[in-house]
Amino acid sequence: MTYGTPGVVVHDPMTLPADDNVNSYTFCVELKGTQWFLQKGKMIAYYGSIDFNGIGHGRLDRLVRTSFHSPLHASDWVVAEGSGKMLLADRAFDVNSYDLDQGNLTIRAGNLLAFQPSLALKQSIVPGFLTLIGTGTFVAASNGPVVFMEPPIRVDPQALVGWADCPSPCHHYDHGYMTGLMGGLRAMTGLGGASGEEHQFEFVGAGTVLLQSTETLMAEQATGAVPQQAGVPGARGGHTGPAQQPGTPRLPGQLGDLQRRFGL
Amino acid sequence: MTGDAVKAKNGSMVAYDGQMAFKKLSGGGEGLRGMVTRRITGEQMTVMEVSGHGTCWFADRASEINLVSLQGDKLYVESSNLLATDAGLRTGTSFTGLRGASQGNGLFTTTVEGSGQAAIMSDGPAVVLRVSAQYPLTVDPGAYVAHQGNLRQSFQSGVTFRTLVGEGGGEAFQIRFEGDGLVYVQPSERNTVAGEV
Repeated sequence: MTYGTPGVVVHDPMTLPADDNVNSYTFCVELKGTQWFLQKGKMIAYYGSIDFNGIGHGRLDRLVRTSFHSPLHASDWVVAEGSGKMLLADRAFDVNSYDLDQGNLTIRAGNLLAFQPSLALKQSIVPGFLTLIGTGTFVAASNGPVVFMEPPIRVDPQALVGWADCPSPCHHYDHGYMTGLMGGLRAMTGLGGASGEEHQFEFVGAGTVLLQSTETLMAEQATGAVPQQAGVPGARGGHTGPAQQPGTPRLPGQLGDLQRRFGL
Repeated sequence: MTGDAVKAKNGSMVAYDGQMAFKKLSGGGEGLRGMVTRRITGEQMTVMEVSGHGTCWFADRASEINLVSLQGDKLYVESSNLLATDAGLRTGTSFTGLRGASQGNGLFTTTVEGSGQAAIMSDGPAVVLRVSAQYPLTVDPGAYVAHQGNLRQSFQSGVTFRTLVGEGGGEAFQIRFEGDGLVYVQPSERNTVAGEV
């Protein structure tokens, strides 16, 4: 007996794509005795025989040593091993695969779903981001389809998914609009028309910038703490240079800057 | 519709044209016995019967809707995922065992039987996977939506001491389907007990 509904595509292991999207929200990985790293709980179904082991599994020590450099983040990751076809998805977000060829790509930690062990995963110096280095395929989720842009470009912080090959992401403030007493008041109160776009990330140099098409961020995924050392961004307790008000970054236009601005 | 009727989740109508009558069916519309069974098994659904002439549109919280046509076979679906069925289809409850418990949906599920069409809901478009003798399928309980056909399901647990010390594989509970039929999975996982280990 055959089941099914006319017009509805039914997949079986023969028709499922190998390492490609089934639809915009589901990705199929083919394992032939090979291994993949994936974030915990992103597997939705599989054919064949596949084992899932925590990173701490003794047998995987060597693999972890060569391609996993985010030690305190390890409990969120598992290694899938075996043969068969495995479907990955994440909260009905768009998923896509990306190929790196002797390249590097930095991505927001919450967006990365899975990657081949031929890539090395490392924590980025930029807090909340992970960097993949090497040759291989990885799968990432985004809120809405991803668009690729060429630097020089300034992007909205919430739309940024990641970047490849360009080494200089930095903050950019719209000074012309935000400085001065009136600018400060505008930025603080929103009165007189703050556009909400006074702060951007700026990329220059050669490379590619990945953006998602909404400004709704995906949930943050902890990347693990970095070593508590002086000079390590994001490390707490290290010596942080000249006295600064703790906690908040100082934007131009904040009241704390007023005395300097009036020459006091 | 031309004078016939469908059963649908209460309050899921968003628009209609023509002439429609909406009648609430208490306790799932299976008579007194069905009503009592549903109460006991925790598979309550509030169903209405819609009849008349014209077109009626159903929707629920912008979930994806998947049409399933049945030719005398049986569809197993969680009552929370069932949107509408042809009135000619019989609905009932069945025991699912541990699978239901791992999904957080209780030990029972809803069955739809007969010939006609049913609409099921999923978070993101469902992927339909065929299970046959040479290709058994393993599914994460959080992503399972429904299945149809002649399938045996067994519950697999990978809970070991590693899970207890927080080094688990993240896929501690799985349902394995064997036999001949179709399984519907959604590209999203419900928050389940299984997702935490």
